[in-house]
Amino acid sequence: MTAASPLRHRASVLSNRRVAQDTWWLELDSPGIAAASRPGQFVMIGYGIENTAAPFLPRPFSVGWRAADGRVGILLRAFGPGTTRMARLRPGEDVLLLGPLGRPFELGRDRPIVCVAGGVGLAPFLFLADEARTAGRDVRLLYGERTGGRVFDPELLASLAGGPAEVWTEDGAVGQRGLVLEGIDWSADRVLLGCGPSLMLRALAESAAERGVALQVSVEEHMGCGVGTCQGCVVPRADGGWAKACTDGPVFEASELAWSP
Amino acid sequence: MVPVSAVGARGGSAPPRSNDPRPRLAQTLFGVEFQSPVLLASGTCGYGREYDGLIPLDRIGGLVTKAVSVEPRTGNPPHRIAETPAGMINAIGLHNVGLDRFISEKLPWLRDNLERARVFVNVVGRTVEDYAEVVSRLDVEEGFLGYEINVSCPNVKGGTMFGTDEAALAELVGRLRTCTERPIVVKLTPNVPDIGVFARLCEEEGADGLSAINTFPGMLIDVDRRRPVIGNVSGGVSGPAILPMGVYLTWRASRASSLPIMGIGGIRSARDALQYILAGASLVQVGTALFVDPSSAEAVHEGLEAHLERHAISSLTEMVGALELPAPPPPDAGTSG
Repeated sequence: MTAASPLRHRASVLSNRRVAQDTWWLELDSPGIAAASRPGQFVMIGYGIENTAAPFLPRPFSVGWRAADGRVGILLRAFGPGTTRMARLRPGEDVLLLGPLGRPFELGRDRPIVCVAGGVGLAPFLFLADEARTAGRDVRLLYGERTGGRVFDPELLASLAGGPAEVWTEDGAVGQRGLVLEGIDWSADRVLLGCGPSLMLRALAESAAERGVALQVSVEEHMGCGVGTCQGCVVPRADGGWAKACTDGPVFEASELAWSP
Repeated sequence: MVPVSAVGARGGSAPPRSNDPRPRLAQTLFGVEFQSPVLLASGTCGYGREYDGLIPLDRIGGLVTKAVSVEPRTGNPPHRIAETPAGMINAIGLHNVGLDRFISEKLPWLRDNLERARVFVNVVGRTVEDYAEVVSRLDVEEGFLGYEINVSCPNVKGGTMFGTDEAALAELVGRLRTCTERPIVVKLTPNVPDIGVFARLCEEEGADGLSAINTFPGMLIDVDRRRPVIGNVSGGVSGPAILPMGVYLTWRASRASSLPIMGIGGIRSARDALQYILAGASLVQVGTALFVDPSSAEAVHEGLEAHLERHAISSLTEMVGALELPAPPPPDAGTSG
């Protein structure tokens, strides 16, 4: 549970730029949420109660970045009708925001941080890398995409995250060819964090468990309320039963969750 | 069986008019005053506390808790929810903490933090005795007004849903009437040929009110994967898509019984709520709309106040069931086509 109540308000779209194939970087004006957010937390973005077209339900997005002037950055990929419509948001339009929500990453102190991102799982790590690097932490950002066309604009990425990412693509068009997991140095002592598609997270969690390495993951599931009331967004716990992605997570110790298919 | 009469009046009564500072939305129902007709629907507001700080619960009419069963239930596998056109489908599986933890962990917060909001505990079971145990053991506790009985679940004994089987429903309501003098409100399923039959039956067996309606059964298929989207295969459809069905079934239920009705299904504005109220509902429940905007219940309340003021209507009770039909309804008004 977050200590403070989340904020709910309409927020103006400041900009929305295409940063890769099917992928947009949306900046919203929300000083309250910008100030209150911690890396790993998310916001629900919706069109409000008058709207019945997709997305009818608000959608959860990681806080992808924040600025002292109140800007909140959101990484958005068009998957279906709801996100396709959101990709067309233009400056001056507004959306309904609820957040920040959920449990953030625990970064501890001093140790280097390794972030493993798959696809739009990059989002929380832009914010995290920016904050942690500013605080003097050593951050490695490993970022994988299926194809080169989907790789987030490298210049913008470096400016948001306070430094570049090490990019892996399955087609080898950008960065190194292969899976992002190949970039992990398992011998190093570090805080290991993952966010991405469920198959990637499972492979990462199994590799970490085999080596006895602690890992935090940020998970995704269909979400209704975002605040723990509807019990819609559950993921399986290692000890049986279900955890709510929205308030028990979205960040979990990988060992808390069940990873078998 | 002789029904035990519940506390107070069955029907709503308006507050006295002269020099009465109470707002126009107040009504006396189930023996107590509801400051507002707007409640939060079961399954969409947890046990109340989850919305603390986001929804000023003591400014609305109240809430209906997540379903409570004797034993904890772990619920269904994901995906449990998905969006549908102008709505959503859910199959949560009545995931709940069970009666013991509800009493020790959830009820105290409701008791200690709500003064004016009225609380109904939604009750679910697999057998009549399951329901009776929840009601009997809760009855000695404080912090809630009455029960909303969820009958849209399978009866282990007969295999059908309580809510679609006249004999099973009659047995259930009659049995619960012997367990409590608190208000019993039966949440009707829309999945019956004539909801009026079930509304009348609840009244005959001693229920104090009706909630109309629960979700519609539905299914959503991922055509690329050729699989159901919902882990449980099928689920219940809610949201604006079901508003006209809910209004219609509320109207049918109100014509068949004199019990007060909580109208529910797709309400997201005062005008939506007024449709239910004109159709015969005294109270309304806002559900899925809370996910779209947690402030929607309060907005419905404020919109109703504004409507009454604008039309110089002194009390909401004047609107309850005040639907004006253009002519005597045709004999087939109850059927489609």
